[in-house]
Amino acid sequence: MSLLHAQSLHFAYGPLRVLDDVSLDLAPGELVALLGPNGSGKSTLIKTLTGFLDTNGEVAWQGRSLRAWARADLARQVAYLPQAPSHSPGDRVVDVLRLGRSPYWGAFGVESSRDEEVVRRVASDLSLTDVLNRPMSELSGGRRQLVFVGRCLVQEPRAMLLDEPATFLDLRHQVELLRLLQKLTKEQSIGVLMASHDLNLTAAYADRLIVLHEGKIVAAGSRDDVLRAEILSPVYGVPMTRIERPGGAFVFPVVP
Amino acid sequence: MWTVGLSALAWLAIAGACLLVGSSGSVGIPTASNFVIRRELVLMASLVGAALAMAGVVFQTVLRNPLADPYLLGVSSGATLAAYVWRLPVLAGGVSMLNDLAAALGQQGFAFAGAMVAVGVVFTLAGRRGRLDPVTLVLVGVIVNAFCGSLFLLIHSLTMGLAASGGELTFLVGGLQTALTAQQRGLACTVVGVGFVVLMYVSGKLNVASLDEAEAVSLGVNVHRLRWVALVTASLVTAGAVAVSGPIGFVGLVCPHLARLIVGTDARKLLPVATAMGASLLTLADAASRLLARESLAQTWLQVGVLTGLLGAPFFMFLLWRSTRDR
Repeated sequence: MSLLHAQSLHFAYGPLRVLDDVSLDLAPGELVALLGPNGSGKSTLIKTLTGFLDTNGEVAWQGRSLRAWARADLARQVAYLPQAPSHSPGDRVVDVLRLGRSPYWGAFGVESSRDEEVVRRVASDLSLTDVLNRPMSELSGGRRQLVFVGRCLVQEPRAMLLDEPATFLDLRHQVELLRLLQKLTKEQSIGVLMASHDLNLTAAYADRLIVLHEGKIVAAGSRDDVLRAEILSPVYGVPMTRIERPGGAFVFPVVP
Repeated sequence: MWTVGLSALAWLAIAGACLLVGSSGSVGIPTASNFVIRRELVLMASLVGAALAMAGVVFQTVLRNPLADPYLLGVSSGATLAAYVWRLPVLAGGVSMLNDLAAALGQQGFAFAGAMVAVGVVFTLAGRRGRLDPVTLVLVGVIVNAFCGSLFLLIHSLTMGLAASGGELTFLVGGLQTALTAQQRGLACTVVGVGFVVLMYVSGKLNVASLDEAEAVSLGVNVHRLRWVALVTASLVTAGAVAVSGPIGFVGLVCPHLARLIVGTDARKLLPVATAMGASLLTLADAASRLLARESLAQTWLQVGVLTGLLGAPFFMFLLWRSTRDR
């Protein structure tokens, strides 16, 4: 059974159609990249999958319709990282991580010993133990983003929906993040759907690519199937060229 | 958890010490007869301070604005105005037929309605995103306060000689009143106590509600419902206190900030610690204003709201300066 099954999603902001008959699946342990230019509907698609935006299509997590899930139960299965994740001013790293356990808290916000244990484990896995008590504002952009990924992981989710998680990171941190996601999918069988703007880097790590353009899926498949000039040039509105390398295909914009 | 216990102990110590300060400013061990008066003042100051501080935590968290406070938002003045209307001669005929409990209930009900109207105005202006930037907040507060103030003075001047009212000052600066019925005290205690339990119950979720809405929803929180529950409860608690004290400024602003310095942003700890601080602070301020009144020439009664206003306004200026600097 697939982790996520989405069928015929439509969404519009007033007269503006943002998603037009989008269907997709996500399997456990699969890293799927969502590509497409700004305004193509990537963020909206992710928000309909979390249940934040209502769609008149069908979204099912683990075979159960999104509408049938209690919010707190779904939060234990699906984690979401927005483009600009937020935290309270003055929050320390451990405060942000703990918040990821909130779907497991009891009445009056009482934590179990397991909640603390998971936070420690994730902090250790992400090498954040030494900064747990540091304020978020003192961390570099790369470290901060890692904390937010950590907040998703302490939810102990089956699936993660990440909206351009690497956008503000330098090259080294982008590679590190993608390696981490790849490791999580393979070792913990988490299904990851991530929106991205970096075609080549993302393609190198993703199992599957989906290209969204004006609210429609215009291509889906392997790196070789999707990284093609004839597909991507019209989508991005710039002429592209494809280069074959032993590791796989790359695409670049043609600059005069 | 030890910080929560410690702050409660601190309040107990402060309340005990303030029992030594008499209602005329005299200092010393109370006699049996004035112990009752002092105990009532200390307990009412604690109750009102606690209520305003917990409401402040909730307003600051839910509106995601460090300057939010029941007084500055106009919630206190809305509640005061409505509680004042309850005592108008027009209604007095009906009120006099009620027993003490019904009269106290009516006063609380009116105060709550007034607080809800004020918070409704704030929430409407906050818009769908539920975030108020500091400048808008101050403007909304000024408008609501000015409107309620004008309305109060209008009603007051049309009904001069109103026996049951505490005069023009009551609206401008709140203070602790000793002429309350047992029902008024009991009801205020119940409202604030129940409000505290409700707010503690949702305190874990309040942490999540301080995130952006899509994130909060993905963490399993129904943000809209939570906001309503929290704002209505905070307004109820504010009204419960203000109905018996009038608007006392800045306790709800200062205490959450001081508490945050000690326990951080986690509402599960912030709420009880700020509440204990509010109780301690207002008890101290009340004792101080009694001492000050003794020193004054006229030997008059000094409303505790005067003192909190004098101390709180510079604190507010500091926060405003910091929040505009950070943007």
